[in-house]
Amino acid sequence: MQVTLKIFRYNPEKDSAPHYETYTLEAEPTDRVLDLLEKVKSYHDGTLAFRRSCAHGVCGSDAMRINGVNRLACKVLVKDLGTTNITIEPLLGLKVVKDLIVDMEPFFENYRKVLPYFINDEPPPPDGRERLQTPEERERFDDTTKCILCGVCTTSCPTFWADGQYFGPAAIVNAHRFIFDSRDRGAQQRLEILAQDSGVFRCRTAFSCTEACPREIQITKAIAEVKRAILTGRLD
Amino acid sequence: MGAQRQPRVVQPPRTFEGTAWKWMRYSGILLIPLAWIHVLIKDVLVGVHQIDLTYVQRTWAFTLWRIYDFLLLAFALSHGMNGLRQVLMDYIHSPSGRSRLNWILFIIWLIVLLMGAVAILGGVKGAEAF
Repeated sequence: MQVTLKIFRYNPEKDSAPHYETYTLEAEPTDRVLDLLEKVKSYHDGTLAFRRSCAHGVCGSDAMRINGVNRLACKVLVKDLGTTNITIEPLLGLKVVKDLIVDMEPFFENYRKVLPYFINDEPPPPDGRERLQTPEERERFDDTTKCILCGVCTTSCPTFWADGQYFGPAAIVNAHRFIFDSRDRGAQQRLEILAQDSGVFRCRTAFSCTEACPREIQITKAIAEVKRAILTGRLD
Repeated sequence: MGAQRQPRVVQPPRTFEGTAWKWMRYSGILLIPLAWIHVLIKDVLVGVHQIDLTYVQRTWAFTLWRIYDFLLLAFALSHGMNGLRQVLMDYIHSPSGRSRLNWILFIIWLIVLLMGAVAILGGVKGAEAF
């Protein structure tokens, strides 16, 4: 089959404004959009810039807008798009560095603000081994451990588009992962951070993040659970 | 078997945003009966063309209706102003700008609420002249 790729192009060193370029190429229905981008880069235009790493939906490098929807290019098959006209654009809400590459620093800055690491200064158990928890306690935050920090959720959030200071769904998901971990002791600190102006209460439950997440994390639910923890102090 | 697991609890942080979020929900729930009863009586049972100063004077002869109208005004206004605040925060990002926004909206809310309160408490005088 033949597909037409319309790709957002912008080289700040040469272009005064972004533009689109169109490429027509042969593809298999089972090709992924990432395969098509690799073909363009290898055979049509070597200057095309995009991020990719594992190419198997684990590293989260190749997040981009495909036909208007935030997706991982390595997880989208051509046959699933329902059209042979494919428009590929960079993520919204972040500055374009070149072509499909955006500056992820504001995203990671928000991520760092929620202290996304294990906090527990208590001495380890007497046997010197790991801090134990029950399967139920582990299950409590299982969903939010799946995040790969691809940025698809945060850059699909209308509040983040308007207000880049909003921590965004990804940061809150990663805070949730530790807040509800029975071994962690940093919940108080994180909840105080998330209760501020740019925290969870900026979420308007648009559900864009939940719909976009390539890992199918129930993000809006996780955000609601953090809101409830802030209002009640309960972490169960 | 291990000991009974204690529920994990922290001190809930108290912030303006958290209080405003809760207020939005409480006022929204209260507005459901307040607004619907208002619409049902004024627009359906009585009809807007029948409402004049004499009608308002008759209604406000009952203290309960004055309290009702004041509650409707207070909750609808605060709910709407907080909604407006949320929208404007999308465009105002600096802490000082947001602080000014909160104060400006609070003052507008207070002025309109006081105007409504004066009208409701003062009642309708000289309706016969109309």
